[in-house]
Amino acid sequence: MSDNKKWYSLDLGLNNKKESSGSCGCGKSEGSCSSTPKEQVEEELSPEEFYEAAINASIGEERHRDGFEQVFDVKMDRRSAFKKLTASLLIGAGAVTTSCSVTTGSDTKEKAQIDWEEQFKGNYKLMTDEEKQGTINRLMRSYELRTDKKINMTAENAAEDVLFGYAFNISKCQGYMNCVNACVEENNQDRNSEMQYIRIHEMKDGEGFKFDKADDNYYHEVPAEGHFYMGTQCFHCDNPPCVEVCPVQATWKEEDGLVVIDYDWCVGCRYCMAACPYDGRRFNWSKPEVPEPEVNKNQHYLGNRMRKKGVMEKCTFCVQRTRKGKNPACVEACPTGARIFGNLLDPNSTIRWVLENKKVFRLKEDLGTEPKFWYFMD
Amino acid sequence: MKNRTLIYSVVVLLGVSLFSCKGEEEYHSISDKIEGESKPYHGALTSEQLLADTELIEITEGEHTFLIPERKGQIKSFACIECHSKPVSQMIGKDAPKAHWDIKVNHANSDAMNCATCHNGEDMNQLNTLTGKNIDFNLSYKLCSQCHSSQFEDWKGGAHGKKVAGWAPPRASNTCVNCHNPHSPSFEKRWPVQFNTKTAIERNEGLGH
Ligand code: SF4
Ligand code: SF4
Repeated sequence: MSDNKKWYSLDLGLNNKKESSGSCGCGKSEGSCSSTPKEQVEEELSPEEFYEAAINASIGEERHRDGFEQVFDVKMDRRSAFKKLTASLLIGAGAVTTSCSVTTGSDTKEKAQIDWEEQFKGNYKLMTDEEKQGTINRLMRSYELRTDKKINMTAENAAEDVLFGYAFNISKCQGYMNCVNACVEENNQDRNSEMQYIRIHEMKDGEGFKFDKADDNYYHEVPAEGHFYMGTQCFHCDNPPCVEVCPVQATWKEEDGLVVIDYDWCVGCRYCMAACPYDGRRFNWSKPEVPEPEVNKNQHYLGNRMRKKGVMEKCTFCVQRTRKGKNPACVEACPTGARIFGNLLDPNSTIRWVLENKKVFRLKEDLGTEPKFWYFMD
Repeated sequence: MKNRTLIYSVVVLLGVSLFSCKGEEEYHSISDKIEGESKPYHGALTSEQLLADTELIEITEGEHTFLIPERKGQIKSFACIECHSKPVSQMIGKDAPKAHWDIKVNHANSDAMNCATCHNGEDMNQLNTLTGKNIDFNLSYKLCSQCHSSQFEDWKGGAHGKKVAGWAPPRASNTCVNCHNPHSPSFEKRWPVQFNTKTAIERNEGLGH
């Protein structure tokens, strides 16, 4: 663990196992912490002391300052101060009790330690590589402790000289929806609410793009006579209005052009959803549930890892795949070749050939959002 | 003395303004950004590992050089001459075992196409062009491109068809027959693989009632 962390840790004694084996959070070296009820009373903090300690641990010196200073002249914003205050009381109480109880094993203590550190970690955007590694290690360990199954999570940064772009051939799409299926499976989307990042719109020939009249949920043999199909998803705008409006900077544009969300920093206000002109964002109203055997275990912190309830999600161009050189799942699954993906900065890439040689257009170009998602026809 | 300070400050100001222009890479539009930062990609990401299991051959068509999957190894009954040991004309009516007698050509109409439009009846290991030139089975796209020239242009550039694996170089593109059955090349009508029941219910009942 790094020394210059941007959050506070609760030391439950797990990290100094070597110096004093068998020690626990209560600081005793032998046996269980609460071997006799009498001693435990002595060890435990009084409610006042506990409250004091929790506040110290969470906002520390900040509580001696006035509101203005707290907001504008601090290492921490008001949101995290509030969050830390309440959460530290809750979690701290939980962690202290579990760490000192006879019945809880070291797994529970480790879980509590992980939860503590995860609760108070910083915004992913501001983390050093070391801190990123720290949080994904904790998340992987936490998943293992909870389910006995291993996942593989990465925190790969954007590669240099890469800017991702996408092209969609309207004349090729037949509405088969293999892309939607692949996306749901790849990105661990909630099976209960049937969330889908991609929408395929069935539109009438000769009427142009009328999204209000389009059928996004057809179920009949396709392609249907007299109709054409076009897909939408997050377009990874180069000038993304969704990023501007986020009050806590939980969503941002990465160097390779991907617009991503830190699910652990998002407060679920849904401003970004209102700001997106393309219906690109999805809000999860319930905890995403995926049957354990169906969970895609190859995950990225900014991509398909398991989200919690009440945060924003959306297409990430499959960051967990594309930063390894693979194509997004939708591109790979499309049986008609309507979806083309690649590096916009590479003059030899096929996406560049499409942009330079086909008649491409984007939706609502006049808004200046500069989507990196182009449509074209044969 | 005063002059000196003036000169200094002007120099400093100029320097600052120059630096600030260079440091901030602001582009007016995404096309400017693409143009401004373009360079052939030689980064660490490659598709090589993803392509490791596929046997590929390199082709050059016009200004495009890229990889396509080898074909002959994928055809169940290649080499054809193992059965078609003699020219087709001499084998007609023989009581030989039948392997793919049920192939129906559902490609253009019979005025325009029959088996011999693509297959060389004299040497079944070869395909042949409209003018009778032999074409290797691995390069069957050369037959398709005789008629489907606009698709061929798009395929060479990368607007038609699919990559074999990832987006990263080297480029390996599927060839025509990897997606289209040459005997029946068009895609069929079928049911979509997804149906969102929740959306359907919401839409039918209305959210607010
Ligand atoms: S499509 Fe919407 S969600 Fe995606 S980057 Fe653009 S504004 Fe944001
Ligand atoms: S929902 Fe989350 S990502 Fe969107 S604006 Fe609110 S905090 Fe930011």
